[in-house]
Amino acid sequence: MPTILRAKCIVVGDSTVGKSALTQVFHSDGTHYPKNYTLTAGVELLVKAVNIPDSNDCVELYIYDSAGKEIFYEIVQKHWDHPSVVMLVYDVTSETSFDSCAKWLERVRSQKPEMQFPGVLVANKIDLDQRRVISPKAGKDFAQSNGLEYFEVSAKEMQQVEAPFYFLANEFHKMYKERLEQFKTLA
Amino acid sequence: MFDVASSKAGAQVVLATSADEEYPPENIIDGSQDTFWVTTGLYPQEFVITFQALMNINTVRIQSFNVRKITVGRSVSNEPTEFELLREKDVESTDGQLQEEEIHCGGNLTAQHLKFTIQSGYDHFATIHQVHVDGNAVHS
Repeated sequence: MPTILRAKCIVVGDSTVGKSALTQVFHSDGTHYPKNYTLTAGVELLVKAVNIPDSNDCVELYIYDSAGKEIFYEIVQKHWDHPSVVMLVYDVTSETSFDSCAKWLERVRSQKPEMQFPGVLVANKIDLDQRRVISPKAGKDFAQSNGLEYFEVSAKEMQQVEAPFYFLANEFHKMYKERLEQFKTLA
Repeated sequence: MFDVASSKAGAQVVLATSADEEYPPENIIDGSQDTFWVTTGLYPQEFVITFQALMNINTVRIQSFNVRKITVGRSVSNEPTEFELLREKDVESTDGQLQEEEIHCGGNLTAQHLKFTIQSGYDHFATIHQVHVDGNAVHS
C-alpha cells in the first residue's frame, strides 16, 4: 500500500505574474491554459498527487493559489497557516514583480518562523524573450541567498511547469524520511 | 486498574487520518514505546481508540513527539460518534526525547471511545508512540 503524504503548497507573488496559469497548467497535466486573464480573489485550492520516484509513496499537494492583489491580502493570509512548502512566482518582464519577491517571502515566513519549509523561486513568462528585464543570474542570486531552488518556466508554452512542483513534492518526501530516522531514535 | 487501551485488552484503533504501513496506528496501543504512528503531513490529525466495553477512565497518558496541541474527546455511544471534548492540552516541545502528557479524569468518567486530535505540531510531522489509559470496565 502506498504511503500518501499531504503538503500544503502556497503559491505567492504579485498579481498577473501567472500563478493561476501555472497551477492550472500543472493541475490539468498541460491540457488547460487559461487564455483570458481572470483576477483571483482570495484563494483557490487545487489538489494534485505527485508520485515520488523509486518509492511507493506519493505526495498530495494542496495548492493554495493566492490572490496577488494587495486588496485581498488580509483574506489571503488567513489561509496561510501551517504551510508545508512555498512557491514564489515572478514575471521576468516585470521588475516590480521581482522586487516584490522579498516582501512575499517575508510574509510567508512570518506565518511560521520556527518551522523550516522547502521553497522554490519560479521565473515565469520566459517565452517573452524580447521583453525580458530580469536576467537568469538575478533570479538565481535571489533564490540562492534566500534558500530557494530556482526554476525558469513558461506557463503559456507549458515549458518546465511541472518541475518546481515535483521538486517541492520530492523535498517534502525527503524531509519526511529524514524525520522518520530521527523518530526511530527517540524511544 | 489496568491499561484498557492496549490491544491485549481488546482495544482497537478504529480510525486514523494518516497511514504509512510501516508505522501503523496499531503501534499506539501495542504496549511498546519503540514503535509509533506517524502523521504524514498537515494538521489536524486524528485517531480514535475503541475499548472492549464501556470503561471508567482514571488517567490517560500520551507519549508523543512534535505535538504542539492535542485535544481528547470521549463518546459513550456504541458507535464512535457524538464525541464531547474532555481536555485540551498544550504540549511542550522536547529535544531528542518523547513528550509525556498525563490527563487525570478522576475515575468517574466513562467512555466507550476516546478521540485524540493533534491540532498542531512543532514540525510538519508528529508521532504518537504510546497511549496508555488506566481504567476498568463499568459493571452494570
